[in-house]
Amino acid sequence: MYVRLDERYRVTLTLNGRERSAYAEPRTQLCDFLRHSLGATGTHVGCEHGVCGACTVMVDGRATRSCLMLAVQVEGRRVETIESLAKEGELNDLQRAFREHHALQCGFCTAGILMSCHEFLGRVTDPSEAEVRDMLSGHLCRCTGYTGIVQAVLAVARARQNNRQETP
Amino acid sequence: MNDLTRPRVIGQRTPRIDGEFKLTGRAGYTGELHAEGMLYGYPVPATIAHGKLEALELDEAQAMPGVVDIFHHGNFDTLHRSPNSMGHGDQVSEVRLPFEDETIHYHGQYVALVVAKTFEQARAAAYRVVARYRQASGAVPSLLGRDDEGLPIESEGSSRGDPEAAFSGAPVKIDRTYHIAAESHLQMEMHATLAEWHDGGRRLVVHESTQGVVYQRNAMARIFDLAQEDLEVISHYIGSGFGNKLFMWPHAVATAVAARRLQRPVKVVLPRQQDMMSGGNRPASRQHIRLGAGRDGRLTSVIHDSITETSLVDRYIDSCGSATPSFYACDNLAVSQRILPVNHGTPCPMRAPGEVSGIFALETAMDELAVELKMDPVELRLRNYAESDPESGLPWSSKQLDKCLQSAAERFGWDKRNPEVGSMRDGDEIIGYGMASCTWFAGRQPCQARVELRADGSLFVGCGTQDIGTGTYTIVAQTAAELTGMPLADIEVKLGESGLPSGPLSGGSMATASTLPAVAAAVRDALDALKEVATGNGGAFEGLSADDLEVGQGGLSHGEHRVSFAEVLKTNKLASVNGQGSTAPGAEQNAYSFRSFGAHFVEVRFDPGISRVRVARVVSSMDIGRAINPPAARNQVEGGIIMGIGMGLFEQLEYDPRDARLINSNVADYILPTHADAPEIDVELLDYPDFEFNEFGARGVGEIGLTGVAPAISNALYHATGKRHRDLPITIEALLASS
Repeated sequence: MYVRLDERYRVTLTLNGRERSAYAEPRTQLCDFLRHSLGATGTHVGCEHGVCGACTVMVDGRATRSCLMLAVQVEGRRVETIESLAKEGELNDLQRAFREHHALQCGFCTAGILMSCHEFLGRVTDPSEAEVRDMLSGHLCRCTGYTGIVQAVLAVARARQNNRQETP
Repeated sequence: MNDLTRPRVIGQRTPRIDGEFKLTGRAGYTGELHAEGMLYGYPVPATIAHGKLEALELDEAQAMPGVVDIFHHGNFDTLHRSPNSMGHGDQVSEVRLPFEDETIHYHGQYVALVVAKTFEQARAAAYRVVARYRQASGAVPSLLGRDDEGLPIESEGSSRGDPEAAFSGAPVKIDRTYHIAAESHLQMEMHATLAEWHDGGRRLVVHESTQGVVYQRNAMARIFDLAQEDLEVISHYIGSGFGNKLFMWPHAVATAVAARRLQRPVKVVLPRQQDMMSGGNRPASRQHIRLGAGRDGRLTSVIHDSITETSLVDRYIDSCGSATPSFYACDNLAVSQRILPVNHGTPCPMRAPGEVSGIFALETAMDELAVELKMDPVELRLRNYAESDPESGLPWSSKQLDKCLQSAAERFGWDKRNPEVGSMRDGDEIIGYGMASCTWFAGRQPCQARVELRADGSLFVGCGTQDIGTGTYTIVAQTAAELTGMPLADIEVKLGESGLPSGPLSGGSMATASTLPAVAAAVRDALDALKEVATGNGGAFEGLSADDLEVGQGGLSHGEHRVSFAEVLKTNKLASVNGQGSTAPGAEQNAYSFRSFGAHFVEVRFDPGISRVRVARVVSSMDIGRAINPPAARNQVEGGIIMGIGMGLFEQLEYDPRDARLINSNVADYILPTHADAPEIDVELLDYPDFEFNEFGARGVGEIGLTGVAPAISNALYHATGKRHRDLPITIEALLASS
């Protein structure tokens, strides 16, 4: 089957827990679909080719570079962006830790970094600093020098670990 | 009145007040803004670097779905150039207007702007524009690898004593040449403009990711021949800018023209490739350093001759020697600067412009001198310590470089360094220890600010400067909180609008020292107005004099009697009182020299088997006056250190030697440090407030952390390998060639 590049297809997905639907061209990248068609402008594009990690979102629970995925590929799938992290206006523990540890400056790379950290902390409950740095190596930050980000992630991991131990 | 020598909020660790917006995705960066009926623009870059655009074939692109119009030399408005004056605040990055003529001066110069209904349509059509060129011979691909003399820039020169005679008579001489490749700012957010005309094309509103809303407003007013009040430039959130967003680039002009002609808002976000080609770069440099010294290590002559690149359309001067005359005590000194036009997009300031390049050359040369003298590099620097500014003859306002050197050396463990090359090993790795001093001038600009104390219990501060990520929003709020005793949560800060009272560029490490005094003056003015209300007819403190009232905890008090600001206003049925502040550097500028200083100590680990170098550890001490928000200030230095590792080991814009085309204009091929390259970093901020400079004691911190990192790395590599690297970046190829 051939598709015309400028033909528009309806794409329906679950975005941050809500079913959403909009038209996309086959050539539309997921990052642009989110920002231009669905108003999810918290995701940012830094390099346009999968290197910087700023556009990272979760697709079906996995951290994914939304500039390397087409909008039509998320038909029927679950997408989570930075907008999903705060619940009822309250920053979650990861966001609070980033704020506390000055893990951001300009904030442009932050959306993608948060999503990678969110996925990572769901998978790895007791990470070493080396593991955190390894996970973050797929993200470029030109401002912070990375130190605060590593501290924030380790602090969240420790706090969650303590919480688990206190509530058997 | 509140005493800033013993502050309660200033100098305290404060989470950034814009953090919540950035951490939830609600910060509106320019590229994410949307306007009703908005169209998308996508520029078409020249594919040659030198020649002439002979023809544009637009039929196919014009017929593509969604395409509204294509702007180019044959379809563009007649505009005026900006006078491009720093003094008049209308400096631009490139004076030449877009599509002004058909001469191509660099790869990536705009030849057309396609405007379409969607981003995808504009991008697809831009790729279908066919440009036919006549390539000219003689493209200049780079300053590097050539020996052109370039054009002298007398204004950047400096001399004292008789440096040539002192050099030729010196018992110990260093005479070396250093090269640094061109770099990209690689700020995470690409340049972006959203232009919207109102009132039938009489009023222009531009959202721009910029480090200078006032400068862009002034420049656009001249270019479009508009009154300044008919033009607003807005930049609330900026995805960083390391100098390349100080002054406007041509894409903003092209976007505004398209919006006016089509009578609809138009947004252009530069693709990363174009951002790197035509959105600014740090120019390559060649520096010749000659040091003459006695056997005791005292410098008798310093001669620093530099040449840097500029473009064919502008004269950008990256003044490499600007710190050199003030760096070391030496009676005989000469600094010169030249520029060479090359076929690149116009260079512009990049973090610590000029000085970071100059300090690489000077501090590497000092290490070479230390080796020659068999003297400890720290000791050599202390022997040539400048107790006052040798350039101006003025005393320093506050200089603690000796304490920086001592403290960083101690924390680093410099005393464990065996000076013999290659003598320190750990398994397969050779360990190298190196150090360098660093500096950045402290500057201050005029600034105005406006404050409203409101009956709803809030305080508003507005200033036409910007927060590019450094934390300006937060330190402005801290200032208002300090002087009023109000909680940070009740303080609203508005920056990044040219219609606000005129504020400084976010550049040169000057924003803090420029902005906070004006904010403080405006707060005090508003408090005076409030006291007048309180002590006047029907006021909460009627009959008392303003001097009887104390300010604190968001209220006025006299003895036990305390009334909140809001109640004072409500008592007199007022919505608010206002305050204005206008401040500028003053007589202190003639009494002192102002500079920040610091020291970096670096451990590298070199694996000779695979020629791999890693920066393992960086220990730094910085004397920046007072840090208003210490973790944010420390973070500036940490970011500078990482950028310095990039400058030292990775970063270079590579231009094809055959035709001057930029080869690596993407984030994959332009190598940046990642977390995997990040060393253990220990940054100490010395706390010596510089009250001669301003009442806050702050000198600024944006640039200094970057300066001195690259020479500390190259000096450490010498200690590890015995090979002196005088060209940046020190690539794996250079390491292989030396091993």
